[in-house]
Amino acid sequence: MAVRSQPSAMATYAQAIVGFILLLIAHYTVRPLIGGRAPVDFLAIAVLFSAVRLRPGAAALLGFAVGLTIDALQPDSFGAATLAFTLVGYGASWLKAVFFADHIALTGLFVFAGKWIYDGVYNLAGPRIGGLDLVVQLLLWTPLAAALTALVAVLLLTVFRPLYRPHTK
Amino acid sequence: MARAVRTASQLDTGLLIACGVLAAVALVMPRWMQDGVATAIRRTVLAPLVSVQQQAEVMRTTIVTRDSLQALSGALLGSALIAPELVNENDQLRQLIGLAARLKNGFVSAEALRTGTLDREFTLTVSAGSNAGVERLTPVVTADGLLGIVTTVDPTFSTAITWADPDFRVSAMSVDGAAFGIVQPHLGTGAQRWLLELHGVPFRAPVKNGTLVVSSGLGGTYPRGIPVGTVIGELQTTEKWVRTYMLKPSVLPNTPGPVLLMIPSRSPKDVNGVWTTLTSTDSATRSIVIAGDSMAKKAALEEIAARRAVDSVAVDSLRGDSLAALGLPRNTPVAKPDTTKRDTTKRAKPDTIPAKPKPTTGPPPPAEDRAMEPSWR
Repeated sequence: MAVRSQPSAMATYAQAIVGFILLLIAHYTVRPLIGGRAPVDFLAIAVLFSAVRLRPGAAALLGFAVGLTIDALQPDSFGAATLAFTLVGYGASWLKAVFFADHIALTGLFVFAGKWIYDGVYNLAGPRIGGLDLVVQLLLWTPLAAALTALVAVLLLTVFRPLYRPHTK
Repeated sequence: MARAVRTASQLDTGLLIACGVLAAVALVMPRWMQDGVATAIRRTVLAPLVSVQQQAEVMRTTIVTRDSLQALSGALLGSALIAPELVNENDQLRQLIGLAARLKNGFVSAEALRTGTLDREFTLTVSAGSNAGVERLTPVVTADGLLGIVTTVDPTFSTAITWADPDFRVSAMSVDGAAFGIVQPHLGTGAQRWLLELHGVPFRAPVKNGTLVVSSGLGGTYPRGIPVGTVIGELQTTEKWVRTYMLKPSVLPNTPGPVLLMIPSRSPKDVNGVWTTLTSTDSATRSIVIAGDSMAKKAALEEIAARRAVDSVAVDSLRGDSLAALGLPRNTPVAKPDTTKRDTTKRAKPDTIPAKPKPTTGPPPPAEDRAMEPSWR
């Protein structure tokens, strides 16, 4: 029994890694092609989908690493994305039992909330915007981007189910 | 079992705290340390992804600008027939007024791209790096004026802040050189966030609305003469001994596209005449006038030579005819008449040499005196 379950677990992790790498590449190839003021955040999807397969500590570490790659391209807000993704990764992993019941709508809501919280933390900690601009960003553009990201996440979960299906333990 | 669970939970919490503390440290680190870490990440683990992202950005720009480029190519096709002639004429004129070297050597063209998870108006990625000669503090300009300045440089791309960044400053002056000050972003709210301020203008040097403000070249970072903005009004501040003006920027930062990077080591300190002509147009005028003088002088000398040749032929002919009429052989020595020399001189002078004497050395006369040179009319 143990002999049969071992390859299955390894295959699951391999699928998760492949799914993460595909989303990482999509973030740097597909996303620039789409453009727009409310872009799809493939990295947020990658962190959230991976976080539900990891322990909270490991998810925080993953969020830290992914956030660092974002900050490297935005020197004027260095550290903001790192902090935001660390919190989102940890929170997503901690809440996985609540949200990830292999339900499409709940998954969409999960991604929407995760992306919104990420952008909220990022905007408050990083870029030097404030006042009305910050309000517009948080209440208009961020929800739009979060909704678009959630929509893409649901599509991915539907089309590439073997790669992104949650395996909670 | 319970102990193992508790240990794992403590480990998770410890990792969260460690990552959170490191992220907070990254937030408050000095700028030079942040740049160092970011550069190291960009040049190692992120290098292939950044390269792919740049290609994707360029592809998108190509797709977005396809229609306008097609229209432009159609218009260019119509102009192509006369282009070579215009290029030649343009080159000659540029050589005359000394602009050829400025435009050909001091710039690196690049594409301004926008990156990041959010739509950031303060930072741009420029598709040229140290391989193309870009250095830190290289001014980024467009055909309309100053856009920003490079802050970090990688081999294949650079990061620049636009003039909207709160840290942006440029020493500037009015286009007539009457008022100097420091331009910085207007940190207002809403649409006013996209305006500029000209600070520290002496009280006795008022600037009218609509006056173009250009970089002054003081400090050495920005060459003199790059358009920065246009005055749209005076701001009332508590500083009564100086004036502050609101400027409408020459370039909007939210329209990335082709830009020019003015390499400090190669571009001149003064780009007067590239975007606009400042009041001190003496050098350009002087070059034009000197060129006009040399052409006029050459024409005059050619005319004098031609007249001398004609006169000498006429004298020979006259001498031969007179001797024949007197019945003398053609080789009889005859004294040269003085009138030939005097007549030639008389005729040549008023036609070729203007009443005003031309200077051969020393500074040229004022521009207004030379503006109506015959050869440039």
